[in-house]
Amino acid sequence: MSVDAGRLRRLQLVGVASGFTAGAWLGAAEAPTKMVTLGIPPVVISLAMVTGVFLARWSLPALLRGSAGIRADVRQAPHLVIWAALAGCLWAVANTLTVFAIRDIGLSIAFPLWNSNSLLGILWGFVFFNELRGAGWGRRLSVLGGALAMFGGATLLAVASSHQAAPGARPMQGVAAALAAGALWGTMYIPFRKAYLTGMNPLSFVTFFTVGELVMMTALALSDRGAALAGDLARSRDVFFWLLCGGFVWVIGDLFQQYAAKYIGISRGIPLSNTNQLWGLAWGILVFGEAGGAQVIGGSLLMAAGAAAIALATATREEHQRWQEAARRESTRYGVDAGYVESGLAGQHAGEARRTWVDWAIILAATAVFVGFAMVARVPELAVHGGPMAVLIVLSLGLLAGTGWALWRVTRFS
Amino acid sequence: MSGRLGVALRDPQFWVPVFVLIGGLLVLRWIR
Repeated sequence: MSVDAGRLRRLQLVGVASGFTAGAWLGAAEAPTKMVTLGIPPVVISLAMVTGVFLARWSLPALLRGSAGIRADVRQAPHLVIWAALAGCLWAVANTLTVFAIRDIGLSIAFPLWNSNSLLGILWGFVFFNELRGAGWGRRLSVLGGALAMFGGATLLAVASSHQAAPGARPMQGVAAALAAGALWGTMYIPFRKAYLTGMNPLSFVTFFTVGELVMMTALALSDRGAALAGDLARSRDVFFWLLCGGFVWVIGDLFQQYAAKYIGISRGIPLSNTNQLWGLAWGILVFGEAGGAQVIGGSLLMAAGAAAIALATATREEHQRWQEAARRESTRYGVDAGYVESGLAGQHAGEARRTWVDWAIILAATAVFVGFAMVARVPELAVHGGPMAVLIVLSLGLLAGTGWALWRVTRFS
Repeated sequence: MSGRLGVALRDPQFWVPVFVLIGGLLVLRWIR
């Protein structure tokens, strides 16, 4: 099998665009959570967001592709259901660890530590999936140097944007929590890449990913809050809508991150979607009036330069052939149809979207939950700058529309 | 499915995320 040069270039371009769009939407997901004032336990906030994530991860694929396509994918590669659930569990534990890391050492130290996930992703991509092999030293250095520059930029931004008090009394535990979160998030991309090398559609993978995510998050919340959880949830019902919205926006970003992982690999996809920190900062400073400064400008420029270096170091034909070797290995190991694997990697087998009454029922149920919580939602008194907010929303929607259209044109959301 | 599950269990790549998950849960238990 060979992907012609023109198609490979188009796939790489939509992969890079997906990485940047993921950054914008993952960063924007922080905005709705700012509507929530203190007084709600962190794991309850996390659980509420994951509920929104769960609803979005079932309703968006049902809308875009239909559950029939998802069932067809599972018939081809049923073992990936377990991999997806495992990745969901990794995400939930990592997300909970970050809450404790922020509590113990503050955001400025914790964020760069867990942002090391991109460096781990590069390692796993290289070791397990032939990424950056056959790429030449120039491209390898661009990706690794770009990721390191982004890591440095992230550190500057985190220090600049931190409003936390002095580190808590348990620095060892905080550092361990942040590093563990980075390790879990970096390792979570092994199942991602495995699924996409096997040819699975991201819209199928996320529906099973989120089952592991919700089950693990519920277990963690129950073990943390015990019998008090029901009361916590009842008390937070007037802000539940904003957290659901945060989860929904996050899923839009995550879907693009999945397509980035599929078409440019995890060594490039993870760092590019880590630009979410820039967007989160833009929302914080421009819309919510948080403090910025010279460090913010320096960190942002460093991060943008790193992202640009990675975006320009797209995979060559030689490297793509090494990816295909890794894909063939998966096909042989798990007995997956070679044609399915090949066309999936080339973004060619999405098929026409077919929606049945099941899909419309899923979409209606998810919408009803959102409407229900919107009806009891309290609009917080929060000073926001309307002009910059409109600009950021237009920019994010523009990226969504542009990249979504390009993905549709090139891959039909395969 | 059981056949492919068996293949997954023999796949070295499967155990990396499993051990990292167990490690993460242990860290979580320690810091709470």
